[in-house]
Amino acid sequence: MHYGMAIDLKHCIGCQTCAFACKVANNLPNDVWWNRVFTDGGPVIDTTSEDGRKEYFPMACQHCENPACVKVCPVGATYRDLETGVVRQDYDKCIGCRMCMAACPYTGVRSFNWEEPQYHMDFATGDSDAAPHQKHVVEKCTFCYQRTSQGKDPACMVLCPGRARFWGDLDDPDSEVSQLISKREYKQLLPEQGTRPSVYYLL
Amino acid sequence: MTENVQASSSSRVSSPSTSARTARFGGRGLNIAIVVAAVLTILGLVLWGIQLTGGLVQTGMRNFDSWGLYITCFMFLVGLSAGGLIISSIPRAFGMKGFGGISKVAVWTSICCTVLAIGFVVVDLGQPLRLWELFAYSNLGSPLMWDIIVLFVYLILSIVYLWAQVRHEAGKVSATALRVVSFIALVCAVLVHSVTAWIFSLQQAHDMWHTALMAPWFVSSALVCGTALVLIVVVALRAAGYLAVDQANVVKMAKLLGAFVCVDLYFFACDLLTEGFPGGEGANVVAMLTSGPLAPFFWVEVIGCIIAAAICFVPSLRKNAALVIAGILAIVGIFCKRAQLLVGGFQIPNIDYPAVMTQYSATNWSDGMAGAYAGLVYWPTPLEFGIALGVTGLGALILLLGLKFLPLQPTERTE
Repeated sequence: MHYGMAIDLKHCIGCQTCAFACKVANNLPNDVWWNRVFTDGGPVIDTTSEDGRKEYFPMACQHCENPACVKVCPVGATYRDLETGVVRQDYDKCIGCRMCMAACPYTGVRSFNWEEPQYHMDFATGDSDAAPHQKHVVEKCTFCYQRTSQGKDPACMVLCPGRARFWGDLDDPDSEVSQLISKREYKQLLPEQGTRPSVYYLL
Repeated sequence: MTENVQASSSSRVSSPSTSARTARFGGRGLNIAIVVAAVLTILGLVLWGIQLTGGLVQTGMRNFDSWGLYITCFMFLVGLSAGGLIISSIPRAFGMKGFGGISKVAVWTSICCTVLAIGFVVVDLGQPLRLWELFAYSNLGSPLMWDIIVLFVYLILSIVYLWAQVRHEAGKVSATALRVVSFIALVCAVLVHSVTAWIFSLQQAHDMWHTALMAPWFVSSALVCGTALVLIVVVALRAAGYLAVDQANVVKMAKLLGAFVCVDLYFFACDLLTEGFPGGEGANVVAMLTSGPLAPFFWVEVIGCIIAAAICFVPSLRKNAALVIAGILAIVGIFCKRAQLLVGGFQIPNIDYPAVMTQYSATNWSDGMAGAYAGLVYWPTPLEFGIALGVTGLGALILLLGLKFLPLQPTERTE
């Protein structure tokens, strides 16, 4: 099995709902975002370029088949799950050396807890079995492992109002995500880095 | 203190001129220096405690620039540690004439720098209490793991090498055995620099780092700052009366420093040309260094190194004071190179579209992506400078204690 995601850029309206869905489902601490929506246009979010063009693309961990982060982790705290192909992070093991953050080509998808995690609310939100956050360790998108391991879909795609996200097994040619990739034109982020991401952007 | 030096120097055969001079070394000045270094070390420990309790958010490091001053210092000190060992082991390993009685002092500076380098990695960690995992769950594929292994082997070998020299002088270790140890230490010294370079150069994510030249370049930079450090220490210790070294040996070392500086600048030129010529992403790296936010570091390095080489090569300039200045310029230049390399790697993001930024993304996060990268993406906070000073204090403490208590002075049997 090799979980992957396809994001239909024609349907993405840049509403940031997936970013919030991720934050709530994983009870992310204040100022921590595993999933962000980029504006490909002007120099500021939600602005157009000089020739009037504006596109959005959401970005989180690309769950690469050849992950740069996994190779460099000295203790194996970040690893590629062999059953699902998901790149996971073991908070209890991470020594906080931040080598994976330096190695990852996708600027900023890995996030370090630079201080004791703080929350606006005094109760945890989202999935009860999401791993608790720790100070001074690296974390990132897990493809909502706590959800997908129970057969549910990742939180970001469930709440997407544009229905722009698709999810499934890339090894299964009949899965929705495989079908879309075989039929539609797509791009991947930074293919020249040789990381072979599991996230596809449908054009 | 004088008792110790006298005791140790009287216990072995010293030339009359050396023992007369060494009797003057140390005393009050050395004791005061040891106390100052100890105070700095304690200060560093307190600040480290503050960093761990209040969080690394108190440093200038953030998600977009996940390493900073500590890793810069780590790179720098690994380099600095080489010189002493290489200067001391090359002549012996290849059976050439050495630099006079500086071998043991040189190796001792190496050992101190290696301890410092390890110290800087430790203060950089978010979870230092989990250090044991490095040995329990070692991922032997990680360049960081290679570096930790090589660094420890290097430290142990340096200590063995120093011990072997002392024993050799006491007539207990044969010249052949010492030569074998010196050869192994030399190989390990070259390896430790290459592996430190690979931590950076094996990452395809940063254009500036991903070059095959990095490993040989780290070796050449190590030779520059290591030789410079030994030169400064030797000139200073000679002036302080700790040891006597022929001017001819100092000149030999200065020429060597000049040559190493030229090799290092040559590598830099090769690297800049290769990156800049195709005019793609690499041209941004060249622009960032020569006229962008990192230009001050770049020009201090280039001009400082050229002046250092000039002092080393022009016979009339090779006076004590000028040689110390050349040494300092070379060391500062190499430190600037390390800073360029580290910050430069983070200064050019691969994905620079605007998105949500928070206080954890970058230090200048409030003006978005453009603001974060307008100046230097990373600058250390006072806390980081304080901890770096504390770690340096620890190194100085070990260095000075060694000078005070260990038999590092040349003896008659020193080659």
